[in-house]
Amino acid sequence: MKNLKEIDSIEDIREHLMIAMQLEHATIPPYMTTLYSMNPENDKNLDTRGVIRVILREEMLHLTNAANILNAIGGSPNLTVDGFVPLYPTYLPDGEEDFKVSLQGFSDDAIKTFLDIERPKKPSEAPQGSRIKSFANGRISMISRPNIENRFLPLVEMKNGDVMHFYSIGEFYKAIELGLEILSEKNGDKNVFIGDESRQVPDESFWGGGGKVTKVINLESAKKAIKLIIDQGEGDGYTIYEDPNSEEISHYYRFQQLKLGRYYQKNDVPGRPTGPELTVDYSPEAVFPIKANCRLADCEGSEELKEAALDFNQFYKDFLVKLTTAYNGHPEFLESAIGDMFKIRDKIGFLMRNPLPNHRGFNAAPTFEINNCHT
Amino acid sequence: MPRSSDARRLGLGQVNSDSYLVQNGPFESDTTYARVIGGTTNHWEAKTPRMLPEDFKMKTNFGKGIDWPFEYKDILPYYGKAEYELGVSGDVASQEAIGVVFEENYIYPMQEIPPSYLDKIVGGKLNGAPTAIRGEKFKLNVSTFPQARNGVPNKGYKPIGAVNTHQDNSGERCQGNTNCVPICPVQAKYDARKTLVKALLTGHVDLLTQAVASKVCTDPLTQRVTKIEYKTYDSIQGSAFGSGSVSGKVFILAANAIENARLMLASNLPADNDYMGRHLMDHPYLLAWGLLTENAGVMRGTSCTSGISTLRRGKFRNNQAAFAIDIHNDGWGWATGSPYSDLLDLVNNKNKFGTALKSGLINQVSRQLLLANMVEMLPEFGNRVTVNPNYKDRLGNFRPILSWSIPEYSLEGIAYARQLSKQIFQRLGAEDFTTYDPLNYGYTSFNGNGYEIRGGNHLSGTHLMGECRLTSVVNSKQRSWMHDNLYLVGPGSMPSIGTSNTTLTMAAVTFMTAEDILKVI
Repeated sequence: MKNLKEIDSIEDIREHLMIAMQLEHATIPPYMTTLYSMNPENDKNLDTRGVIRVILREEMLHLTNAANILNAIGGSPNLTVDGFVPLYPTYLPDGEEDFKVSLQGFSDDAIKTFLDIERPKKPSEAPQGSRIKSFANGRISMISRPNIENRFLPLVEMKNGDVMHFYSIGEFYKAIELGLEILSEKNGDKNVFIGDESRQVPDESFWGGGGKVTKVINLESAKKAIKLIIDQGEGDGYTIYEDPNSEEISHYYRFQQLKLGRYYQKNDVPGRPTGPELTVDYSPEAVFPIKANCRLADCEGSEELKEAALDFNQFYKDFLVKLTTAYNGHPEFLESAIGDMFKIRDKIGFLMRNPLPNHRGFNAAPTFEINNCHT
Repeated sequence: MPRSSDARRLGLGQVNSDSYLVQNGPFESDTTYARVIGGTTNHWEAKTPRMLPEDFKMKTNFGKGIDWPFEYKDILPYYGKAEYELGVSGDVASQEAIGVVFEENYIYPMQEIPPSYLDKIVGGKLNGAPTAIRGEKFKLNVSTFPQARNGVPNKGYKPIGAVNTHQDNSGERCQGNTNCVPICPVQAKYDARKTLVKALLTGHVDLLTQAVASKVCTDPLTQRVTKIEYKTYDSIQGSAFGSGSVSGKVFILAANAIENARLMLASNLPADNDYMGRHLMDHPYLLAWGLLTENAGVMRGTSCTSGISTLRRGKFRNNQAAFAIDIHNDGWGWATGSPYSDLLDLVNNKNKFGTALKSGLINQVSRQLLLANMVEMLPEFGNRVTVNPNYKDRLGNFRPILSWSIPEYSLEGIAYARQLSKQIFQRLGAEDFTTYDPLNYGYTSFNGNGYEIRGGNHLSGTHLMGECRLTSVVNSKQRSWMHDNLYLVGPGSMPSIGTSNTTLTMAAVTFMTAEDILKVI
């Protein structure tokens, strides 16, 4: 994986934003796999499905916001480049460590992973001898960690010669925001936000749920777009809400409700929800027993399954092509992409209802091995 | 739309009291309603066409029915308010083409729900087809219906999604589940809870649950309402109940046309002209179903996206009822119980299984065309809701008794609609499968032909509004002539219903009423 460069030019920011889109998308296959692993004919996980669906939709909103920022600074979003969809399991940064993100069925472990993805990570001030280093007058924290294969966020070559990891996803977005600020100040807003306004996805084209798409035309709106992504994900890090004035609960605490079996409501404190009870059922009646990180090779022994798995991957690739068109000046393509999302659900359902011939007790699942599919 | 499962064929003089709604005949309807928070809007189909300007002056224009105490232009701005409150997706131009009038530059909150593939097939073959009623010529045209269902918002409008405690912010767009009735799985369809939540959040509203209003009490001298008594219950199955009363400055009854009238009659307040509960209306529906020659993708989209509204207006209304035709996206479901009935037929009678069963079902269902003719009904003095001590519910409250028949004016329209459906099927090359069962509860004979008439759940007319105390129950602001601190709100106030589903007009009138109530308090 190519290293990123510490932001110094508009081109560096575009590369960061391409990674940001990849990152926002990278949460979608795991959330989607877990969501659709819950048998829709069983009502026990009705609440759980609702909670995960909201978050899934908000990730799509974040992806669209990232595309709008990239378009605003003259970039061209491309969801079809090699490696856009990682091979799972992949690794995401979590402060001191990277952690593993798998495609897996609804389970205790899935919720734990989701909490890891969304957990607010605030680096403390870097103590002497720590692997953490501050950059940009202390505004961004980077860290050096052991290198891992399938690590999702690329390394960053800092101007001082260090090669560092982002401490967290939050720090990654902070670096983008700071880069935009510095460049705008240096070159003027108008010379940074040079994109054609007609390429912005308008809110009317987004299907709804979980907030509005931010139209990005200047630094102020770019910061608003980033704020929405950070607020909905990590929240402010101290309360269960996205920000102190919001009624919306951040992703971390939304997932935590599944772990604690109860909804949060207004005025609750973190860790102690007092809302209505929420049922969570991991039993085989409620969840298809899918194989974690299922691969095409796991479908050997059943031509029909293999064909369905391949068909899904190709369909998903075509879907990413359609999104790329939508994000490149044709937002009207989102309408039919939404229809495709229902087909994606149905195709996943077909895979998950069928047992793998060579893996006793396990059902198939979408493999998301997209890179070999043709565009 | 939701149907009562208790309706059955009545013999001469028979009464059906099997369910809460007592049916005294001679016409028995499967019309029904839900006594829950949000009422029947939880289960409605959510079509929201406006009434036509001429519908408000039926007596003046056609010498039939009763005029409203105001004109279309007076309600015009309130229609807009109602459409924004309910969240209507629609197209102004196609409504204007059928005679609806809008304020200048008006746009609906959301773009029209796109016509289904089925609509396009039917429209493609039918648009421009000539027909005539009593010598008056028309050209049929398929167009979309405005609906209170979230679609692509027009600039600045934010669709209102689901009401729940589950943080599942779905419902901001319709998903085309074809499951609008009995319930929209994502709440993209408006229901009154969306408005109630706003009211509750003001902190000025108290909700009394598990309580049924049982009596409106009045001062014998002034006739003003002093309090409303209610009965409470512990559980639906239990028999224990208590009672209480609420008092206030202004009282508003906003149940439906049957329940408003029932409560007033149960309180022995029939109005000094004995109009309370009379003039009961509902849209009679006549279904016609046929099989198209090609796969039309039936079972996609909302229950209904388009229809033929050409015959909602015309001079013929001097003699016979106007009607609107719905093209149903859910196949023959309403008429025959499809697709379940098709499945049973293929398995039990045709011995199909596996791939043959699957393709057989698709082949059958995807070609089904159901035309639902919604026919105008006029207010008749004798069509009414009454109460009788012989019929009480388990709380000891009077139950509503319906006594009505379908007026000849509507039957003329129904007979014409059946003829037209045959012409339409012929033009489409569709095979007509329509049959009407003489043992069906709604079977009605007219001029030697029989028709199965179904209810529309558009109950209305029972506390007419009018210009004069002698010939109406409430004034143009839905305020009772007799009891001047009482408002009877809802479609019971409507003197005519034209060929529009009643909810939108009721909501618009209610906005007018709300302004009046604010002036009073």
